[in-house]
Amino acid sequence: MRSTRLLVAVGLFALCGLGANPASAVGVAAGTNIDNTAEVTYTVGSVSATATSNTASLTVAEILDVVVTLQTPSVPVTAGATQQEMLYRVTNTGNGPETFRLQMTSTLGGDEFDPVAASPSIYFDSDASGDLSPGDTPYVAGSNDPVLNADAFVTVLLVNDIPAGAVDGNRGFSRLLADARTGTGVAGTVFAGQGASGTDAVTGTTGADSEATGQYLVAGVAVSAVKTQAVADQFGGTRPVPGARINYTIVVSATGTGSASATLFNDNIPANTTYVPGTLRLNSVALSDGADADAGEFSTTPNARVRVQLGTLTQASGSQTIQFAVTIN
Amino acid sequence: MINTTLKLVVAAALFAAGFAPLASAESQGCIAVTTTAEIEKEVVNDKGQKTKVLVPAGKVIPGTEVVWTVTANNACKLASDSLTINNPVPEHMTLVPNSAFGPGSTVTYSLDGKTFAAAEQLTVQENGVKRAARADELKHIRWELKSSLQPGASAFGRFRAVLN
Repeated sequence: MRSTRLLVAVGLFALCGLGANPASAVGVAAGTNIDNTAEVTYTVGSVSATATSNTASLTVAEILDVVVTLQTPSVPVTAGATQQEMLYRVTNTGNGPETFRLQMTSTLGGDEFDPVAASPSIYFDSDASGDLSPGDTPYVAGSNDPVLNADAFVTVLLVNDIPAGAVDGNRGFSRLLADARTGTGVAGTVFAGQGASGTDAVTGTTGADSEATGQYLVAGVAVSAVKTQAVADQFGGTRPVPGARINYTIVVSATGTGSASATLFNDNIPANTTYVPGTLRLNSVALSDGADADAGEFSTTPNARVRVQLGTLTQASGSQTIQFAVTIN
Repeated sequence: MINTTLKLVVAAALFAAGFAPLASAESQGCIAVTTTAEIEKEVVNDKGQKTKVLVPAGKVIPGTEVVWTVTANNACKLASDSLTINNPVPEHMTLVPNSAFGPGSTVTYSLDGKTFAAAEQLTVQENGVKRAARADELKHIRWELKSSLQPGASAFGRFRAVLN
């Protein structure tokens, strides 16, 4: 009997990076002048004349609005894992260029553990890979606060470590807050002369700040393999004598909430035995010995062994039964 | 602002006497035209009641409704006839439906600045089908004063438009 326990983390979604939203603009760009001139025609007696009015002008004030959206609803992690990232998008939904401050909070209620902020804990997804990679730039408050044009967004990674004590099914929340540098406040708060092109800045419906909360989910999966054997000697009995055949049966199963990807079953042929060609089976279906299109193979290098590719296994996959036979030398 | 202008219109009505119009070079420059942009602001008056007043609009955010008023004043000693105010809907703004009015005036609209008609008579050809024009497609407004504008009198046209 043999048993293996594997913890497998599931890969993150790959997502896009920096850019402009296709969403429609919030309105006319801040700083735009709106002009109006009227014209009047009239007659005095039989003579026609035309008069033109002054040009009345308005300046479009700047709306301060921001929306933070979570891009990874639930991040599967393992207990004790470090540098686990969550992906967010910060979008300037106002009508002028604005600088935003970012802040992470990981000590939130309603979850089973508090993620521990890595250092640094906020990165820009500079290479648009959707995950933390060497090309990503750490965020330093007050130093490289993102400046976003109207409708533009930036993709941000929050990075936390997962406490070693977290167990399967535990959740840990982490939050990203973004606010406009010009100021925040209830919708309609005016910052005179502080908008684009010297116009007023006015907070929009978001109050010029926004936050979104994501979760880490400890999603462990245990893959176990149980091996049994049956001996058949050449005399019709069950004695393990030279020339007797041993039929092995291995049952592989996954338990837990996660999924084990690219699961590979590998079993070395025991010393002093010889593999019986053509006996490899997966779930009662024969697999050829060659390294070919089917999931199984027998090889002699680096040592005599059988291998079966089981692919992605979850608890829902059910048990996988592998069989093969050897003879005792 | 409203009150002042209304008084002027009343004055115009009082002056509705028949001056014999004379053709002369004086006709040019007889009408002074001013345009104002205002927004409605809710205030509490001295009786503690909430009322709306118009205040000059300087800086506005998208979504704001702006009240545009064009006032024509007859600065000459002769009455002016066939007084017509033409005003395009400002760029980046959308006309509020049925918002244009002017005391003593007939209001018409145009899509192209050439053909003027009542709003409900204007149509747009879309995908081979004729349909009624929407308020955001009305790009020009015209006020035609039904009677003569007497010396010293004023007439005005007003409309509302929302900043896009």
